[in-house]
Amino acid sequence: MTGPRDPRPPGGEPIDAGLAAAQEALVRAMAAGGPLPEGFDAGAVGAAARSILSKRAGDVARAWPELARSYGTGWTRTFAGWAAGRPTRGSIRDAWDFARAHRDELSPGAVRELAFTEARWSYDGRSDPRRRRFAVRRVPGGVLVQVLGRIRVFGPAASG
Amino acid sequence: MTGSAKGRGDTRRTADDGVGAPAGPGGALSVAPGTAPAPSGLPPLGVGLGWRPEIAGFVAELPGLRFTEVIAESVHHDHPAPDLLALRDRGAAVVPHGVRLSLGGAEPVAAERVAHLAACAELLRAPLVSEHIAFVRAGGIEAGHLLPVPRTRAALRVLTENVRRTQAELPVPLAVEPIAALFDWPDDEYEEGDFLTELLERTGALLLLDVANVYANARNRGRDPLELLDRLPLDRIAYCHVAGGVQEDGLYHDTHTAPVPPEVIDLIAELSSRRRPPGFLLERDGRYPPAGELRAELDAIAAASGHPPIT
Repeated sequence: MTGPRDPRPPGGEPIDAGLAAAQEALVRAMAAGGPLPEGFDAGAVGAAARSILSKRAGDVARAWPELARSYGTGWTRTFAGWAAGRPTRGSIRDAWDFARAHRDELSPGAVRELAFTEARWSYDGRSDPRRRRFAVRRVPGGVLVQVLGRIRVFGPAASG
Repeated sequence: MTGSAKGRGDTRRTADDGVGAPAGPGGALSVAPGTAPAPSGLPPLGVGLGWRPEIAGFVAELPGLRFTEVIAESVHHDHPAPDLLALRDRGAAVVPHGVRLSLGGAEPVAAERVAHLAACAELLRAPLVSEHIAFVRAGGIEAGHLLPVPRTRAALRVLTENVRRTQAELPVPLAVEPIAALFDWPDDEYEEGDFLTELLERTGALLLLDVANVYANARNRGRDPLELLDRLPLDRIAYCHVAGGVQEDGLYHDTHTAPVPPEVIDLIAELSSRRRPPGFLLERDGRYPPAGELRAELDAIAAASGHPPIT
């Protein structure tokens, strides 16, 4: 995968300023809660936007399976409700932002998944995550120690 | 399920009668008889299956596989999947397929994304690379998926420039793929066939025709998919995509997570009877079925197209 890194939008002047503005207005309407530009079929654009949210939910479920499993069959609906109006910054940051916003609801497996990721990477919620060299975290069933990418969990219910 | 299995059986007979693809003595035909020469000296590809980590083992074990495709953005240039290199080393054509270049975006394509595509082509010794006629971001906001461009003169100019910038950096030909779109722009100036033909003429790019997209767009607009086929330069097709989708919200969504519907198999036969494309690649992106079902889909594509089976 491309990993958590997400290159900046391309620099330089648009090739066509009018088209650039029209495309931005459409993307804002579909992904960032903006108004639908004139002339589009609202039903069809809405269906496309919902289908993108389902696809994002599927991508997050593949990246962070325990997170999705916390919600069972309600995963796609719950994720889509949260993600509507929040443009994606890649499935890893989608997953991470969602998990942080729902810490209290997560299953022990999902808490562990979040803790493992946070032990390996530091992420301020605004820019791309950076690799950590060392971390200690409390996780369900013990304490996790990460050194140079290797993780061990110490505790009564530890299983590696 | 019964319905679609039956549909496929019917299609196979139609293909055998109409297109005629007799297995040679020993069944070792490398190119289906009647296949048009591939454009620009590309190798004939035959039937292939999209390489995904979840089905890498299945892909590797397909005895007749000579053609696969990998999502370019999923390739780690410094740590490529060993399975993928093994396919390359056994002589299979591995085509990097980009999904985030945004050729139809009004901004110039990002140099680092083009460079990655080029590096993938070198690494995989690919005969060509492919991308979409679509945009995926605008004003720094990611759409999350492929969005349609308006079929206007302005969009044609943008696409032409971005395709040319990309071609200039690639060591191999580029094939561009029209997408499945659930909606159209209000200010279209071209019919889809004319728009695509004009883009291919201006850029010299090859066409990656997604048969399932042709089906989905026609079905969602109440049109006949053959209308589009009859307006496209079929001799520019490098290969085709095939996939299944789901009906939801009153629309057919090309999700790649469902069996290929019999209508799409029929369309493969229709297309192949006009001018058989050099290759057909099955895309599956989730809800992976048991191996037997995937093999049956690949066989149905081979039968409908007249290409040799690979299972």
